[in-house]
Amino acid sequence: MMFTDKKLLARLDKMLEDGINGTFSESDYDETQISKLESKWLRYLTSSKLSAQKTEQEREKLQELVSDISHQTKTPLSNILLYTQLLQEQDIDRQSRQLVDEIRQQSEKLEFLIRSLVKTSRLETGTFQLAPLENNIDRVIESVIEQVTPKADSKQIQIRYSPESYTAKFDIKWTQEALFNILDNAVKYSPRNSVIKITVDAYEMFACVSVADQGIGIPAEELPCIFRRFYRGQNVRKQNGVGIGLYLSRQIIEGQGGYITAESTPEQGSVFKMFLPR
Amino acid sequence: MEVLKTEALTKIYGEGESKVTALDNANLSVRQGEFAAIVGTSGSGKSTLLHMLGGLDRPTSGKVYVEGKDIFTLKDEALTIFRRRKIGFVFQSFNLVPTLNVYENIVFPIQLDGNDVDDKFVNEVIGTLGLADMQNRLPNQLSGGQQQRAAIARALATKPAIILADEPTGNLDSKTSQDVLSLLKVTGQKFSQTIVMITHNEAIAQMTDRIIRIEDGHIIKGGEPND
Repeated sequence: MMFTDKKLLARLDKMLEDGINGTFSESDYDETQISKLESKWLRYLTSSKLSAQKTEQEREKLQELVSDISHQTKTPLSNILLYTQLLQEQDIDRQSRQLVDEIRQQSEKLEFLIRSLVKTSRLETGTFQLAPLENNIDRVIESVIEQVTPKADSKQIQIRYSPESYTAKFDIKWTQEALFNILDNAVKYSPRNSVIKITVDAYEMFACVSVADQGIGIPAEELPCIFRRFYRGQNVRKQNGVGIGLYLSRQIIEGQGGYITAESTPEQGSVFKMFLPR
Repeated sequence: MEVLKTEALTKIYGEGESKVTALDNANLSVRQGEFAAIVGTSGSGKSTLLHMLGGLDRPTSGKVYVEGKDIFTLKDEALTIFRRRKIGFVFQSFNLVPTLNVYENIVFPIQLDGNDVDDKFVNEVIGTLGLADMQNRLPNQLSGGQQQRAAIARALATKPAIILADEPTGNLDSKTSQDVLSLLKVTGQKFSQTIVMITHNEAIAQMTDRIIRIEDGHIIKGGEPND
């Protein structure tokens, strides 16, 4: 009796093991209990696999829809922007000019939103894959600083950075995008004549890029929310923005095995840290 | 999905005049995949709380549920096995077996439970924690940070329901601490592992998804998930 118990348990263990590995098949069809059990086990495995597949399919459909909408709206939107600019060049009265300016601002906001949506949906559907390679971090930082300099200059904001020549494993193009969103935010929420400091630290396993501003800061209760899609802080409703930049940044950084954190002291500024694996 | 829950968890040490309530009516809920920090000064009751979450100590009253199971209904021996299968511990003092090499230390709890090692998974864990080149070394041939990384790998290897980390960077310098915490964070993300960490350090706590604040045995903030 002891022997058969042991044999039975071994066989059940094998069934479970094969089920976990996805290699289970029925061994024999006869009138024994174990054969009935095998059929039932397979039925269970198949139905749970089906429901997982169904969820996956629905997810894909949704992502496709988002990506379709974003793609199809891109061209008409560019045209709206183009015509708005043409209209701005016309000789029109003050009141009309104000209205046109408003149309342009809102169109630019919509364009940014759609561009970011296209990017996130491409990342999520795997159309674009992140390709992390060993790269010099300075290269990314310097090119992003160059991108935001005009905006920073217009507010007399000074961006301080001294190159350190550290390397890490990351995808240059996408990491630039991630850092741009962070630095662009820093410029947006900093007061005139302030300083934004970028520093790089290297550890054994990670390198950390921090961006510290002297802006309005983020209330503690909002800190856990800021990386969510479409989240906007209570104090920044007046500023232009759609709440997708930081979400995209986080997707990019986590997608290559790193992470992002935010610390803040209200009225004194915020520090965003981007950790990249080395 | 809720992985961990406590109900009116209370621990009282001593009796009469010398009675100390280390934990008073603590209610807490942690979701699958969350990285939560329990923050409090020394003597606030955070270690008492962590010990009970891990089934290392029994409460005076109240309950702890892990994956829906009321763990203190288990007898001591069953509780030991439960702990081995469901909880991964990371301690301040690493607690690696000095005579076993890194790889042997990592797979030790799996073998203790009489299971075959899932090589693919264990190798992935070892790779993520940057231990691939030092698998054959003994713990005393490693730096503190590397030893703690091996301890994290050991905790992850059994695919536990929760990892409980008690001041995991308490014995490390600040630079190494940053690395070890980064790895906890990234491995948590990658393997959607639930992690509850004790710390007295605010800056360290900031890196987690949620801060649970405890003072004089009371949970004063963060007992429930953020949304």
